[in-house]
Amino acid sequence: MHAQSAKLKTHLAEIATLLRGETETISAWSECWNARRFALHIAVIIFGAGLFGATMGWWRDPRQALYVAIKFPLIILLTTAGNALLNAMLAPLLGLNIPFRQSFSAILMSFTVAAAILGAFSPVMAFMIWNAPPMSSQAVSGATYSFIKLANVAVIAFAGTTGNVRLFQTLARLGGSKAVAFRVLVARLAGNLFLGSQLSWILRPFIGSPNLPVEFFRATALHGNFYENVFHSLMQILTSD
Amino acid sequence: MNEQNPVPPQIPPRIPPVATPGVLQLGDDPAERIPISNVVAAIDSILRHPRRVMFQLRQPDAGKLIAMMLLVSVICSLIYGVVVGTFSGGDQLWAAPAKIALGLMISALICLPSLYIFTCLSGSQARLVEVCGLLAGLLMLMTILLIGFAPVAWIFSQSTESLAWMGTLHLIFWFIATIFGLRFLEAGFSHSNARSHAGFHTWVVIFLLVAVQMTTALRPIIGTADTFLPKEKQFFVSHWGDCLKATEKDLKSKLRE
Repeated sequence: MHAQSAKLKTHLAEIATLLRGETETISAWSECWNARRFALHIAVIIFGAGLFGATMGWWRDPRQALYVAIKFPLIILLTTAGNALLNAMLAPLLGLNIPFRQSFSAILMSFTVAAAILGAFSPVMAFMIWNAPPMSSQAVSGATYSFIKLANVAVIAFAGTTGNVRLFQTLARLGGSKAVAFRVLVARLAGNLFLGSQLSWILRPFIGSPNLPVEFFRATALHGNFYENVFHSLMQILTSD
Repeated sequence: MNEQNPVPPQIPPRIPPVATPGVLQLGDDPAERIPISNVVAAIDSILRHPRRVMFQLRQPDAGKLIAMMLLVSVICSLIYGVVVGTFSGGDQLWAAPAKIALGLMISALICLPSLYIFTCLSGSQARLVEVCGLLAGLLMLMTILLIGFAPVAWIFSQSTESLAWMGTLHLIFWFIATIFGLRFLEAGFSHSNARSHAGFHTWVVIFLLVAVQMTTALRPIIGTADTFLPKEKQFFVSHWGDCLKATEKDLKSKLRE
């Protein structure tokens, strides 16, 4: 019992270090591989993003909450894994000579920070959903839906920005230059945004719709892609009389 | 061979507080080092020597002090709740205290994770237990002050029939008490090497919104209803709007009579 409590305190102290952005310690962590720490970061992403995902889907249905609790961390982990090789190759090309493992570890830590923030905000989001009227066509067309959507976007944006600020600080320390760190960060953001958007498109719905069934994937999940859809929407706006 | 990972986990050492010339650090005054052993001492300390509470929250046995502060918060909110319940009487004499105490504790619980995250993001070295303690201190100071307002609230609740007026009065008292509670929390936050207070101020907004919404989620607290909890979900702004409309309607009908 005492050993478990000490372990939990150690884990909490490590997450707090990441949140505080203590670059010296974080850089040292990224330099040496530690399976336990890697597992902790993955666990925080699964738990934090999963909890936030559950609150997001809860308004539609408890089953939707379960689906989004699985899908949300999945997007983060798949984006990290999918871009790992590209990010590791781009870093030296842009002036930051770090090995693959260090590059992967730095990105994973930034997502851990974001997931910890998302997890911490989930009680507030759950309270907001609990206070909202049941999801209906009327509710979706009203101010409540917009408010919930905006609150979700604000928390995700805050978590994402903070995670990237911490990543920038780590990269600046590793590379010794803010200019190099900025270039690497922009490249990573572009790659993550490109893949992340498509993964989110495939794994939709998140908040859900009262007129559509609760499902893990939409039947049209793999029909078209996010960018095609944006292009079609733009064309519709531009060509409509 | 069994050693899979020869590098021991690196846990950052606790950074000692940065000493600012001319500014007293927590514990510099010997009076702050005296342990808080009972509830009376806890109440006295938070009102007269809040730095003593802040210092004691950093000690290894802070759990006992936190438990005491939470106990005082629950008792004080129950007492204030009875005063709130006297407006309607009947079932509200037990429902109002239960809802106020429960609502306050749940609001604090909902906001605790985000407070800890904002504390860490601002660079503060406060541990989770210290953050819990500061939040418990906020609740205790807030509810003690509410007890101070209780006689005034009781006088008014016996002399008016207006639900909107009593609601506004209780909200004003709650707001004043919360400001003092938040001042205590911010002072504790300042002593933990925080680089910026922006995150803390954001959290204050979240806490106020959650607490105000809790009063709507657990309504009726002052008035009466057929059920313990409301059947319809509403945001506090629309609930307040409905209350004001009902009061306006009442006033108009009274004027016609």
